Amino acid sequence: MATASTAKPRPVPKPTPTTQAFWDGAKKGKLMLQWDPVARKYQFWPRANSVRTGRRNLQWKETSGKGFLYSFTVTHVPTPGFEDKTPYVVGLVELDEGVRIVANMINLAPEEVEIGMRVKVAWEKLNDDIDYFAFEPDKSGGGKKKT
Amino acid sequence: MAGNFLADKDVCIVAYGETKIERRGGRSAYEIAAEVAEQLYKKTKLGPSDIDGVTFTVPLSECSNPFWSGYATEYLGISAKWLQTSDIGGASAIGNVARAAMAIKSGLCETAMILGVDAPSTQWRAYYGSYRNEFWDPVGIQGPPGAFGLLMNRYEHQYGIDFEGLGALAVAQRNGAIKNPNAYEKLKHKITVKDYIESRQVSSPLRLLDSVMWCDGGNGLVMMKTSRAKKLGLGNRIYPVSYAEISNFDCANQTPDITATGHSVTGPSALKQAKLKPKDVDMFHPYDDFLFAVMLKTEQCGFAKKGQGSQFLRDTDLGPTGTLPINTGGGQISCGQPGLAGGGINLTEAVRQLMGDGGRRQVPNARNALVTGIGVIPYGRNWGTANAMVLVN
Repeated sequence: MATASTAKPRPVPKPTPTTQAFWDGAKKGKLMLQWDPVARKYQFWPRANSVRTGRRNLQWKETSGKGFLYSFTVTHVPTPGFEDKTPYVVGLVELDEGVRIVANMINLAPEEVEIGMRVKVAWEKLNDDIDYFAFEPDKSGGGKKKT
Repeated sequence: MAGNFLADKDVCIVAYGETKIERRGGRSAYEIAAEVAEQLYKKTKLGPSDIDGVTFTVPLSECSNPFWSGYATEYLGISAKWLQTSDIGGASAIGNVARAAMAIKSGLCETAMILGVDAPSTQWRAYYGSYRNEFWDPVGIQGPPGAFGLLMNRYEHQYGIDFEGLGALAVAQRNGAIKNPNAYEKLKHKITVKDYIESRQVSSPLRLLDSVMWCDGGNGLVMMKTSRAKKLGLGNRIYPVSYAEISNFDCANQTPDITATGHSVTGPSALKQAKLKPKDVDMFHPYDDFLFAVMLKTEQCGFAKKGQGSQFLRDTDLGPTGTLPINTGGGQISCGQPGLAGGGINLTEAVRQLMGDGGRRQVPNARNALVTGIGVIPYGRNWGTANAMVLVN
């Protein structure tokens, strides 16, 4: 597969009435998650309903933005907007709140990545409306290192 | 659980059809369907007016058509009492055999055509919706290869992967494709385990030779009641005898073990309903979007021990005369994947073998086959639909 010589734009999310609160939080550097007040658990990605009870009673809460790397892949064939970044790391992060997020891993080299490492949320500005989540190594210590 | 509705062998498959796999062949899904249907008519001595039920896999090349079933059957000249297009991707092939069996048994139709036709390398018209625009596409993950990179890396962390085992599977399937006149011509050359290991990384640890190539092509079956097949003199009859399907296994769990798939339920269920143990299975035709999916299914359907799939593949003769013949015609990885008709590659090969039409790759004395399907890649897990069917002759 030939890599395009000119970079294509990275896709930009179009918020829906349900997801708007997530992106409003992101603009303030806050990673917002939906909290199910009946199951007393978080869920991700944002939906209009609880995946546990089916009720539309979810509440938005700001989270720590911290967790550990559950898995990762080093991407050698880029997707649009990532042509000049290869090889780059996409992670499957497990937040301390008990959800998993697929996200671009930044501020680290592919050879530094290991499953179980502590990570924290970081933000990349896509345009005036959207700050997009990514994760980077969390060197502050603390938090559960889990594998 | 309800009883096994297929146990009585009341419904059978009487013919299969399959086109050669092409890449950017230029034909539409309709033109491919016409070729498959003609093959089926010739084998059964039936015509369009004899077919009163049709089930399709939704084609990537026709996704934006909200009336695909109607347009396609009108094109073929079929006046149908029962139509259904299934959208469980690669799980649709055996899923549609089960659905057609239900339709026939319940009297909705008498003679059903099960068609999988697609031309995504000529025309790609897919759009996904849901979380994709906001939480997937902007992340930079390389689609299904990226999702499988995450899955494989986690599995490797938990259990380890002997990549020579995946290489052995790649070689075995390729040897099948070389003996398969319908395989995509450019894939019909020998490869070695070393070629697999040294193929370039796409989304680590997933390599190029782990993966399918989008192609165009089609396949199909004719099904009817066994009594009717006997009356029509259709002597080569294959029976689906068990079926299990699950979509979104362990869905509400937000931190699942992603190495556990729906096949850990449906594989053993299909075998149990057919009263077979893994050692009784004559051949295995697992849906193969990536080699790793086949590996995981050897464990979860009970052929290999948990965490030992790659060693099992390394140490087992997977060829047509081996201990466990797997995807003897090359599978999708070595034939090319005709879009969402891809599940039919594995199914058609199982039926062909059971009918004794395997030619140079015939599995001697094949009496049964376990066939699996995979549909859709969900968010940060393994696969969405996991189904399994046992067929016997």
